[in-house]
Amino acid sequence: MTKTSKKLRLGFLALAAGLLLPGIVLADAEYDALQAQVRDLAAQLEAVQRTLAQIEQKQEEIPGTQETAIAALKQDIADASEWRTPNSLIHLAGYTDVGYINPENGDGSFAVGSFSPIFHFQYRDIVMLESELEIELSPDGETELTLEYLAIDYFLNDYVTVVAGSFLSPIGQFRQNLHPSWINKLASAPPGFGHDGAAPTSDLGLQLRGAFPLGEMRSNYSVYVSNGPELNAVFEDDEFELEGIAAEAFGADADGEKVVGGRFAILPMAGLEIGVSAVTGKATVTGLEDEDTGEVTEIEGAIARDYDVVGADFSWMWKNLNVRGEYVRSKVGEALTGTTASEGATWKSWYTQAAWRIPATKIEAVVRYTDFDSPHSSEDQQQWALGLNYLITNSFIVKGTYELNDGIAGSRADNDRLMLQLAYGF
Amino acid sequence: MFSRQSKQIFPAWVRYALLPALALSMFSVATAADYPQPGDLAKGSMLWAENCGRCHQVRNPQDLRDDQWITTAFPMSIRAGLTGGETRDILTFLQASNAVIPTAAVTVTSVTVATDAPVQSGKEIYTQTCVACHGADGKGALPGAPDFALASGPLAKSDDALTQSILYGYQSPGSPMPMPAKGGNPSLDESGVAAVLKYLRDTFSH
Repeated sequence: MTKTSKKLRLGFLALAAGLLLPGIVLADAEYDALQAQVRDLAAQLEAVQRTLAQIEQKQEEIPGTQETAIAALKQDIADASEWRTPNSLIHLAGYTDVGYINPENGDGSFAVGSFSPIFHFQYRDIVMLESELEIELSPDGETELTLEYLAIDYFLNDYVTVVAGSFLSPIGQFRQNLHPSWINKLASAPPGFGHDGAAPTSDLGLQLRGAFPLGEMRSNYSVYVSNGPELNAVFEDDEFELEGIAAEAFGADADGEKVVGGRFAILPMAGLEIGVSAVTGKATVTGLEDEDTGEVTEIEGAIARDYDVVGADFSWMWKNLNVRGEYVRSKVGEALTGTTASEGATWKSWYTQAAWRIPATKIEAVVRYTDFDSPHSSEDQQQWALGLNYLITNSFIVKGTYELNDGIAGSRADNDRLMLQLAYGF
Repeated sequence: MFSRQSKQIFPAWVRYALLPALALSMFSVATAADYPQPGDLAKGSMLWAENCGRCHQVRNPQDLRDDQWITTAFPMSIRAGLTGGETRDILTFLQASNAVIPTAAVTVTSVTVATDAPVQSGKEIYTQTCVACHGADGKGALPGAPDFALASGPLAKSDDALTQSILYGYQSPGSPMPMPAKGGNPSLDESGVAAVLKYLRDTFSH
């Protein structure tokens, strides 16, 4: 080996040592840092284990913690179930309406129609008490309270329900199904189908009603016996004359004469219902109406007269179209003797109505024609009623109705009316 | 039934009125352990659509709780002339349809419509769950129900959007009442939704 090569080797070794030494020193520093980190992690793990052990120890010291929590949860579930399915259920429903009426001959006025709360008290699927009050504000500011109906419904079986008490008249459809303002598609009742018209409004007695299949068709029925109506007379031109039929529920039967009646309907296809109704019995004049004031005073000594009602109705629903119609005739016989002896009288009315919901809108157009015949020519009325409704929801409706009334000139029956109404069913 | 004395007390019409009632009571149905007994949901949706709208605008099932629907359905059955069985069917549908399912927490990001899914099952679902409101022709059987056959109708939307609408309910513009979640059928799952969606597109799309 030459001197030069020795020098080269030494130089090379010195260079290698110079390059490696800093790396070795750096590796030692990282190793130390990692060791310290592992020690820290081990310490933290020990701390966590200690904490866990303490928690477990505490849980063990409180016996039945989990069982207590489960029991509480079960109780909560049981409480919730109590709320869902008690034997007794209570429900407040009803409807109300407010509006503005502007007659052609007269001043326009804001008006409160009525507030009609309906109470439902039900015990399982056995019995229900249903009652509706009608609270109205009279033009002179007095609040009038009327019991619209109060009945106990005993659900005897799937086909028969016993209805006892005062109930809406099952004659036809309007009174029992359509009169609530959120259901009636116009702001007024068809002439003859309101109070003191051709159609009975309510009765007090016992009713059986229900439904049953009839081959491929469906059918429903109601039959009842009740106190029946009372009659009012007026003394005019030195003789008595029948003024009107108070065909609503009376708390006592003034003449002791009952009436029996009912309705039978078939549904030959989906959406179509056709019904017939009839009532027969006796009714007596119990009130004498003052010709000028309209006040009624009691009168005695009248004899019972024949009282007969016949009716027919239909309704048909097809997509956005709803068409219905109804006819009713109430006939009171003559009385040859008694304090209010007079000839008989007949009230009859019919209407047909079409309502069409404009597709993809909340707007509904309605048209109705009614012909009401009364024994008093001043009450005779033919009416076209046009309506445009906006359904904010399905039970909160803005209604605009215009009545074109045709009666004896100058009479109330001849006065056209514009009505705006807000109706809310709840 | 009536003694000689009772005959003197009760007039003839009372006897004749009570006899059928007493006879009918012999056939009265015993009260179930719980009430009312569950009805048929599919029949209930049809009966609801066919009967309630005859008199009034059909109410949104979500308007009332389950117990409130009980006290509403029973008096309505008297007014509408329904049998007890029909009343229970409608009640079952209403109680199944009034649940509000929150959509905020769950979002369907993608759904694959099975190309070989059985058409019959989609048709069956449609017939049982959807037809009462949407009609056999898809043009809408109830006021407010949209027309599937319209080019701009609901089927113009994506499968994801329609699946969301079916699963969580949807209110069409101009309709005062929303479609209930799953059409009121709680047993409808995502595969059922996919099947019925395929049926809708196959049957009503242009």
